[in-house]
Amino acid sequence: MNTVTVHNRPLWRAAWRRMRRRPFQYILFVLGVAIGVAMMVSIDLASGSASRAFELSTSAVTGQTTHRLVADSTGLDEAVYTELRTELGFSPAAPVIEGYVQSPELGEQPLRLIGMDLFAEPPFRSYFGNGGDDIGDLVAFLAEPNTLLLTEGLAAATGVELGDTITLDYAGQRVPFRIVGLLQPGDEVTANALSSVLFTDIANAQPLLGLNGRLSYIDLIVNNDADLAGIEQFLPEGVRLETASARSNAVQQMTAAFELNLTALSLLALVVGMFLIYNTVSFSVVQRRPLFGILRCLGVTGGQLFGLIVGEAAVLGLIGSLLGVGLGVVLGQGMVRLVTQTINDLYFVVNVQDVAIPPLSLLRGLLIGVAAALLAAAVPAREAMKTAPQSTLRRSTIESNAQRLLPWLVVAWLALSAIGTLLLWLRTNSLVVAFAGLFAVLFGFALLTPPLTVFLMRWLTPVGSRLLGVLGRMAPRDIVRSLSRTSVAIAALMVAVSVIVGVSIMIGSFRQTVTLWLSDTLQADVYLSPPRLTASETSGTLPGDVVATAVNFPGVAEAVTTRQIEVALPELNRRVNLHADSGDVSQGQRQYLWQSADLDTIWDQFLAGEGVMITEPLYRNANMSLPPEPITIDTPAGPRTLPVLAVYYDYASQQGSVHIGRALYDDLWQDDSFSTMALFLEPGQPIEPVVAALQVAFNGRSDVQISSNQSLRENALVIFDRTFAITAALRLLAVVVAFIGVLSALMSLQLERAREFGVLRATGMTVRQLWQLTLLETGLMGSTAGLLALPTGFVLAYILIYVINLRSFGWTLQMQLEPSQFINAFLVALGAALLAGLYPALRVGKMVVATAVRSE
Amino acid sequence: MKRLSIILIIFALLVAGGLMWWNFGAGSETAVAEATFLQVAEDTSGFARATEPNNIEFPRDLGAHDAYQTEWWYYTGNLEGENGRQFGYQFTIFRRALTPEAVEDTASDWRSNQVYLAHFTVSDVANEAFYPHERFSRGAAGLAGAQAAPYRVWLEDWSVAEMPSGEVRLLADGGDVALDLILTQTLPPILHGDGGLSTKGPEPGNASYYYSQVRQATSGTVRIGDETIAVTGLSWKDHEYSTSALSEGAIGWDWFSMQFDNGSSLMFFQIRREDGTLEPYSSGSFIAADGTVTHLTREDWSLDVLDEWTSPTSGATYPAGWRIEIESLDLLLEGRPLMPNQELNVSTVYWEGASQFSGTLAGQPMSALGYVEMTGYFATMDGRI
Repeated sequence: MNTVTVHNRPLWRAAWRRMRRRPFQYILFVLGVAIGVAMMVSIDLASGSASRAFELSTSAVTGQTTHRLVADSTGLDEAVYTELRTELGFSPAAPVIEGYVQSPELGEQPLRLIGMDLFAEPPFRSYFGNGGDDIGDLVAFLAEPNTLLLTEGLAAATGVELGDTITLDYAGQRVPFRIVGLLQPGDEVTANALSSVLFTDIANAQPLLGLNGRLSYIDLIVNNDADLAGIEQFLPEGVRLETASARSNAVQQMTAAFELNLTALSLLALVVGMFLIYNTVSFSVVQRRPLFGILRCLGVTGGQLFGLIVGEAAVLGLIGSLLGVGLGVVLGQGMVRLVTQTINDLYFVVNVQDVAIPPLSLLRGLLIGVAAALLAAAVPAREAMKTAPQSTLRRSTIESNAQRLLPWLVVAWLALSAIGTLLLWLRTNSLVVAFAGLFAVLFGFALLTPPLTVFLMRWLTPVGSRLLGVLGRMAPRDIVRSLSRTSVAIAALMVAVSVIVGVSIMIGSFRQTVTLWLSDTLQADVYLSPPRLTASETSGTLPGDVVATAVNFPGVAEAVTTRQIEVALPELNRRVNLHADSGDVSQGQRQYLWQSADLDTIWDQFLAGEGVMITEPLYRNANMSLPPEPITIDTPAGPRTLPVLAVYYDYASQQGSVHIGRALYDDLWQDDSFSTMALFLEPGQPIEPVVAALQVAFNGRSDVQISSNQSLRENALVIFDRTFAITAALRLLAVVVAFIGVLSALMSLQLERAREFGVLRATGMTVRQLWQLTLLETGLMGSTAGLLALPTGFVLAYILIYVINLRSFGWTLQMQLEPSQFINAFLVALGAALLAGLYPALRVGKMVVATAVRSE
Repeated sequence: MKRLSIILIIFALLVAGGLMWWNFGAGSETAVAEATFLQVAEDTSGFARATEPNNIEFPRDLGAHDAYQTEWWYYTGNLEGENGRQFGYQFTIFRRALTPEAVEDTASDWRSNQVYLAHFTVSDVANEAFYPHERFSRGAAGLAGAQAAPYRVWLEDWSVAEMPSGEVRLLADGGDVALDLILTQTLPPILHGDGGLSTKGPEPGNASYYYSQVRQATSGTVRIGDETIAVTGLSWKDHEYSTSALSEGAIGWDWFSMQFDNGSSLMFFQIRREDGTLEPYSSGSFIAADGTVTHLTREDWSLDVLDEWTSPTSGATYPAGWRIEIESLDLLLEGRPLMPNQELNVSTVYWEGASQFSGTLAGQPMSALGYVEMTGYFATMDGRI
């Protein structure tokens, strides 16, 4: 029956003309989408590049390895390898020594030094093949001490040449190495993956990395179960067989929570972006209602209108997304540095040479951008489609609809808040669920914005009237009258600002908690440690003579030592740091989450080797009960199960750590080295002279670092700030998105009112008054958004701190509120809004009254 | 002189890295090989040299002589299963010093300037199946080495080691084939050349210390796949160490060893030159059943090639039948490989195989089993040293 009598083409032409006439709105639409997509893409690229760089360097180094023999981070006895070959006769085995070094000639980046046996390598790592060119002097590589190979790419990038001697720095030991060969990996992927790897003979790596007589691991190629069984049977205590992928998986698992957090933050930006798009699209619909009404009367079907609006949004969304993807790639370059820094500080050493740009990430950004635009456009489009032609012509319809919606929005808020709370309450470890809860709560608050705005404005009308006269009454009323447009802009601004508030409170609380923890924990006066490449590193030991000198140093009353290694907890299926402590460096100041008895008893038991203590992240990440079950640790003497004496708060490692008494450690590990040392000075002894004297005593030594309590704390906070640089950057981006959004929304709102302003001017309002009215209105909207953002931000912060953070990292933070966080956020909202009002106000001032009145 | 000499060891070195760093078989890589080769071979000034006759002592000299650039312990043998099934085997451990002086390093057990290489082959004559294997290792960390007392030479789990009984056990497992043999000495070691000093060329010090244990009674098992066969037979052991090189113009060599059915033995080698002549320093030893040694010089024998065989793998053409006449011993022999394909296509390409000989010695009919090694047929060695 119904035949389409109007072709689509004129509709599209009409849309195009409109875009040309009012490009500004559409530019902002495109920008809103672009920035949202850019954030997501850049985060995706940055964290993707980091994990890919890790994966590639791992797989390049893993080569054909199928299995690996490993022990804890002190490595395994090299005799295991000799026996494997000479007694078991298993030949696809390669010994590897591994550590991270630095070289001033190679740009101070952390470099993976791999000590290997050239003769064992052929079945494993064949990536050097295909070159055909001379890679250098292999005789020197084998026979001459301290020689190494590196990739041609690394040499070219750092300007070193074959035959050069460079300095390798490991834990402050500086050893000259001669470059005897340049590798030319066949393909670029491998070349990139190996561009932060140095190869040396195992005989050079052992002394440099302090692993004489030890191997980091033994690579194996095992293709059948019989061989596997044979090797398992042969393994001595403390040595484990694991698949080659297990380790890298475990390592990558560590960053999963971190990356999810980043993704969620970027999604948050997209949500804000969606509000903007919704705002722009619904705005363009509202503006064209007369046109749509006429079109409907002319026989254009609702479906065609829907198609037109959605089509517009799709095209603009696509353009915005394309721009966003491009922008994201650019942003990603900067972001990757921040992400890498955090990963290096918190998790493991990764060296990202360049930002990989996987088409999938770009496609995903594109799709999400377009989908968001479509989704945001669907609501207004549907409305345009469904409304009867004659009512479309009536401007007031949509506003009265909006007014009718208000009670339902309150209901929706209640419902979403309930759902969100439920999701957050669920005792699951899933971060995705937690984020879903967070988004539900946030969205609920966004929906609550229009009713609250109306409430606030109605309340303000008499107040404004009394304070500012007619303008004071007009401004709030105007906002309520065009609620369908103003409320979306306010909500968008509110969401953006609340994210700023929430993230600021979270970071602030985190920092405060860490500061308090540092002052509780670091009670000793002077600390000695080997220099470390990254904060996450566990290797490196204090030279024995340094320890001996420091213990008996004049003015030193007591010394507490710690040996830090990485161990496996087989039952919990995770690797954590093990600290062998000779005493309590916090002198009882530490905060305990749980303790089995009073402190003195616990420490006596601990030092007597009757049990271990663990830190909160381990307790939480491993889902342990209270009181915790005894914990099993792989030791060189076989797995040992020890009771847990206490769980304490600790912010040093996200994986958590196990602490063990020094005597028991010595028994089990037969390791007499020390990682760090804390010195308590005699009462009344000033710290600085002792530090100075120690510095004189260890003058010229690069293998020990002396820090006072003060400088150690400062350093810890520097690292803390560094790890949160990425979050701060994202917060800044969210502000930019919000700003553009609110700019776009308010500007179009004001521009739309040209005729109204014309009438006002015609009836006697001065330019000055119009300025005031415009700025008053945008100011009011900004203030409303800012005001509503404060409680929302607080709720967000609460969720971030007590749910997301706890689940992601296992750290309990003390919420710390600072007025400045709220004031700043409010000012951002107000500032953005006022700024957005400037341009319309300027135009209003310049307008010719007659033209404005005639314009419609 | 015999055997693969420096070239082989150079290749050992090359392969050690080479398998990893280069694709074998491509043209440009040969150039690399040569470069590395020359680099190693050129400067031999710091190494010890074989110069003195009668300088070999036992058991002292059973083990490694790290100061010399090159050394090998070379076992070959012909074995027979209960049903008369014939096998040949070669088991060689080579040692190569990369530098004259070892670096003193108390820190790492892996520090070494010694590289070890082993070749292990089994010839399953009835099935005409040849099983070559090759391994490398550094001479450190207990992975490979050679010691005099108790005598033990090993590369990982391949080893020859003196047992408390004084006999020597040879163990090698290449996966598809394995050997487990007990070797019993029947004659004292035979010193070749001038009291063990075997001259290789006119240059002073271009010589090796060289002795053999020519007829070691051998029993044990050969495993081929899943089949384990009890075997008995005779093994020949060479031990040679030197810092020597092929003289200019030499391209390869042929080495013959024979264990006659009357208890006597023969070894001789001839170094072939580019121009088709033989190096005058080629030499040999005839060992009577009672151990009396008759030294042979280049002029003592004549050798004609009766047949040839072309390797389908490398394309190299090797002699595959010989007529040998040694007038001074009144010895006339004809010999053939027990099976044609005994070419090792490993880091270097050469032919080393079980062979049989028959003829007359002083008019008496004689036959022998033995091993023949032929190098320089795949690629000329000229200019490589």
